[in-house]
Amino acid sequence: MRTEETVVFDSIIDPTVGPAAALERDRPTLAARPGSLSGLRLGLLANTKRNAEQFLADVGRELAEQYGMVQVLAVKKPNIVETAPAEMMAELTEQCDIVVAGVGDCGSCSASAVADGILLEQAGIPAAVIISDAFTVSANAMADLRHAPGYAYVTTPHPVANLTDQGVQARAAEAVPAIVALLTEPVMATAASA
Amino acid sequence: MTAPATAGGSGPSRAGVSPGRTVSPRVNTDDPVEQAKAAIEYCFEQGWTDGLPVVPATRADIEACLATTDHPADEIIGSQPHLDRSVTVAQAAANAIMAGCKPEYFPVVLAAWRAVTQERSSRGAWQSTSGPAPLIVVNGPVRARLGINYAGGVFGPGFRANATIARAIGLIVRNGYGVRPQELEQATQGLPGRWSVCFGENEEMSPWEPLSAVGGVAAGTDAVSAMLIRTVEYVDNRSTDSAEAVLHDFADTLARMGAYVGGPHSSGGLVLGPEHAQLLGNAGYSRADVQDWLFSRAVRDPADMVAAGKGEHAGDGPFRMLPSAAAIPIIVAGAANAAMSMVFRPFGWAAWAGRSVPVEWKEQ
Repeated sequence: MRTEETVVFDSIIDPTVGPAAALERDRPTLAARPGSLSGLRLGLLANTKRNAEQFLADVGRELAEQYGMVQVLAVKKPNIVETAPAEMMAELTEQCDIVVAGVGDCGSCSASAVADGILLEQAGIPAAVIISDAFTVSANAMADLRHAPGYAYVTTPHPVANLTDQGVQARAAEAVPAIVALLTEPVMATAASA
Repeated sequence: MTAPATAGGSGPSRAGVSPGRTVSPRVNTDDPVEQAKAAIEYCFEQGWTDGLPVVPATRADIEACLATTDHPADEIIGSQPHLDRSVTVAQAAANAIMAGCKPEYFPVVLAAWRAVTQERSSRGAWQSTSGPAPLIVVNGPVRARLGINYAGGVFGPGFRANATIARAIGLIVRNGYGVRPQELEQATQGLPGRWSVCFGENEEMSPWEPLSAVGGVAAGTDAVSAMLIRTVEYVDNRSTDSAEAVLHDFADTLARMGAYVGGPHSSGGLVLGPEHAQLLGNAGYSRADVQDWLFSRAVRDPADMVAAGKGEHAGDGPFRMLPSAAAIPIIVAGAANAAMSMVFRPFGWAAWAGRSVPVEWKEQ
């Protein structure tokens, strides 16, 4: 006669339980959006991926020409895995009203670009992060990890690294309307869409 | 200006929180095997495994691992600040047991973890599209004591210590750092045996000093060296007794363009089978001589690189595919039953930090 019952596995150690997390558990507060970009100071935060700097430069030019922004800073962070160094973040938050960051075109840098964006938002700077559409999963995973599920960013088709100069320019122009929308429309996106 | 979003939201629960009641489906409790299988299934359901069954770890297992080391349970042995995750000694122990390690392997797991994570390339390795694998090399008497294979079939499978020490590193990355495939881990294809490459060096048949001595640890001391690699590819050459002919064959594989990802150079190293190692040693080549030979001969014609669309850094003269002579790690492992070796491909542009890690045994 079989005895069928449930078994309690409380003695199994959970291998994912580690030291207390350093990040606050509260959902990060995103920066308030301006009604218009005209006259605002723009900063560009690039990573070291191929074509990232040019992509952002092309976006910057479009934002200046079409929306009257003033580009005041363009920086490149040294490491694709980690968020931008504190000094670089300070420079961006002190000198800029708006930051465009990217391009998240690899496993590590897509996640860290989202982390950069969230840190800038927490410092009161509206940020538009550009992610290649092959890496939305890792971008979303980072948003979850930073307690911002559904964090909104702008996607561009993968790949970016092998585009010619003209290709990058065209791609940047395509991304601009979504970037403008993300920077000016109310930030409601972080709640339900995760 | 519009109102900022500040909705609540709950993050993933961890950080010292106990998992709560962990109840299985109904199982046949007359049969301990059914209960054991249910416990394994439970671990699958929690997302704790790499796809293979794990050994559920208990408090007693952790204590048994901790008894092998002077490192305290709560010592942090690795961090990924951008992921807000750190790993402790106790967590490493849990994952080592789950990987199938015996508690006495644990000091080697800790040394391997340190050897892997001190490599600069490990910072971005776990999330990378390249999906690199740790290559873990053990030197010293511990090989015999724990049964770490260094002879036939070193790349596996078949040997518990080799298979489980390497697997423990993978489970620590997965469970400790929360880096899982198709989530934060974005490997395009990965590689066969990503978490299974751990072997002893065949010091007994090597003509040269142990790799760990190159890495700064005295020969005869238990030590672990590690790098991250993207693949291994064989060089089968049983056709000649000429050392230079075999070196020529290695140089050809080392100069393969597919392994070059752009930038100043490619990267490569050798796991020499004992026959090739002895052929070279008997011909008077030191390890450094082999490195020098390969560095100067592993070159490509810039025209080849241009033809492959990789000519950006090619220049005019022969393009050296390897960073420097010293950055061609040379390891001896395997059986002396056929003249074959493996070229391996370090991840990133730096081959190896060149620092081996002594295995720390508990003070008696």
